[in-house]
Amino acid sequence: MGFIETTLSSFVSLIPVTLAQSLILSFVVLGIMIPFRMLSFPDLTSEGAFPLGGSVCGVMLVAGASPVAAIAAAILAGFVAGCCTAFIHLRFRIHTLLAGILVMTMLYSVNLRIMGRSNLSVFGNPTVFDWVPGLQGGFPASKIVVAGIVVLAVFALLYFYFKTEKGTAMRAVGSNPDMAEAQGINVWAATIGGIGLAGAFSATGGALMVQSQGFADVNMGIGVLINGLAALMIGEAITGKQTVLRQLLAPFVGAIVYYQLVSLCLAAGMPPPDLKLATGLFVLTMLALPSLRRGRGPAAARETFRE
Amino acid sequence: MLEVRSARKVFYRGQPDEKVALDNLNLTLATGEFGVVIGSNGAGKSSMLNAISGSLVLDSGKILINGADVTAMPVHKRAARLARVFQDPMRGTAASMTVAENMLLAELRAKSRTFRPGLNAVRLAEYRERLSVLGLGLENRLDTKVELLSGGQRQSLSLIMAVSDRPDVLLLDEHTAALDPRTADIVMQATIRTVSSLKLTTLMVTHNMQHAVDFGDRVIMLDAGKVKLEIAGEEKKNVTVVDLIGHFSVKTDRMLLAS
Repeated sequence: MGFIETTLSSFVSLIPVTLAQSLILSFVVLGIMIPFRMLSFPDLTSEGAFPLGGSVCGVMLVAGASPVAAIAAAILAGFVAGCCTAFIHLRFRIHTLLAGILVMTMLYSVNLRIMGRSNLSVFGNPTVFDWVPGLQGGFPASKIVVAGIVVLAVFALLYFYFKTEKGTAMRAVGSNPDMAEAQGINVWAATIGGIGLAGAFSATGGALMVQSQGFADVNMGIGVLINGLAALMIGEAITGKQTVLRQLLAPFVGAIVYYQLVSLCLAAGMPPPDLKLATGLFVLTMLALPSLRRGRGPAAARETFRE
Repeated sequence: MLEVRSARKVFYRGQPDEKVALDNLNLTLATGEFGVVIGSNGAGKSSMLNAISGSLVLDSGKILINGADVTAMPVHKRAARLARVFQDPMRGTAASMTVAENMLLAELRAKSRTFRPGLNAVRLAEYRERLSVLGLGLENRLDTKVELLSGGQRQSLSLIMAVSDRPDVLLLDEHTAALDPRTADIVMQATIRTVSSLKLTTLMVTHNMQHAVDFGDRVIMLDAGKVKLEIAGEEKKNVTVVDLIGHFSVKTDRMLLAS
């Protein structure tokens, strides 16, 4: 069999597993998109909120809590983590990126404290993936069904929310904080709430991941941010970001396409250790593209992010 | 009614470049009155507007709107009572959002925002009607992102947004200064029309002496953080550009040329 056939056959056999994984990780991409695009607040908290969600969920499961309660606790923890990042930025006027790095670093210790060790097995505990009737728990099909339903519900809710009066106000804070404030919008509340929401989504991803893979690991967050960014860029290249609908579709479409691409690279024999380098180069290319297209000279001011 | 009582603000206090921006400034604008503020650079015009809108915290003194003390209120709370049009067209609108969404944000300025859908047919029809007053065709571009509009269109939109819920006080911060003469004229005419038809209590800062002569019930000249001169009533009707410039402590040809 030739190279192409082996690659294709192993890629195709991996499609369901990868799809399940990408649906779960699309929550992290969503947790990156909301601060970046809706609030113009480049946020790195997700790298810490993702394992935080995993740790909280893992500990809750081991303690005998129901899988849904474990996810709810993870969501709450992620929300608080996001709020902390936003508060540090707003109150102490610390750069958003630095605020994110601070919280992410501190969360590493917090996660270790929560779990009491670096790795926690939840194997054998019930998960939300066991509940699909007619399917055996633990198989990709049940994960795709459960994660897919949650993704659809979250997408519908967010689409509705960003069109409401409150949601429009939150988008205004991202578009022009001065104007938002002059229009009677509490910029602090909207920013803290929005970044908290993003942290909650990243933590949801972590909690679902732990239930899917059967263990929580303090290092499970390493690299999720750059993977998420890469997925977001791909998603935006496909769906565009002109409207709320397109912007909101981007993380989900991006996550699904990106992880299939990664799977294809691995099937083609790319050594796994090279993945992060490849992903990083890809994100760099996507970010550099606009300035390369313009030709030489300094990059023109693109979008204004808060500092 | 708008009252500024002994407002004082000092920048760089105790340093060699200490600057008294507002020096126990007093100003009262009756309900429905249109005041025009002039003064050379550094006279305290912007500091006064910022203090009224809440983005500048006073060292001492009080700001009252319709008798209510708003001195300690943050910007977003004061926004329920006052609206502001900035000099820079970019500042007053949300560029990445549509015309209709911007109108919605302005409509909700004084209201509590709910989880109900923001834009609906009733609101869109209302926005269309309000924007048609301008005669710029904005009423047919409700779904256009504001970043695609020209400076004049954006500023006109800012104006309509500012007056949409009849604010207790309207602040105009050199709102035609960044526009070309023809567009500035259109925006100015629209301003006068809406302010007089809605009888808004208005404070307009301008460097254009002709505007100060032509519009408003009262001219207020600031100098070194204080009100140096007020011209109202009959005297205001007969005042000329040359008269006004005569009162400036620092005279430059640019003032005359700009008028």
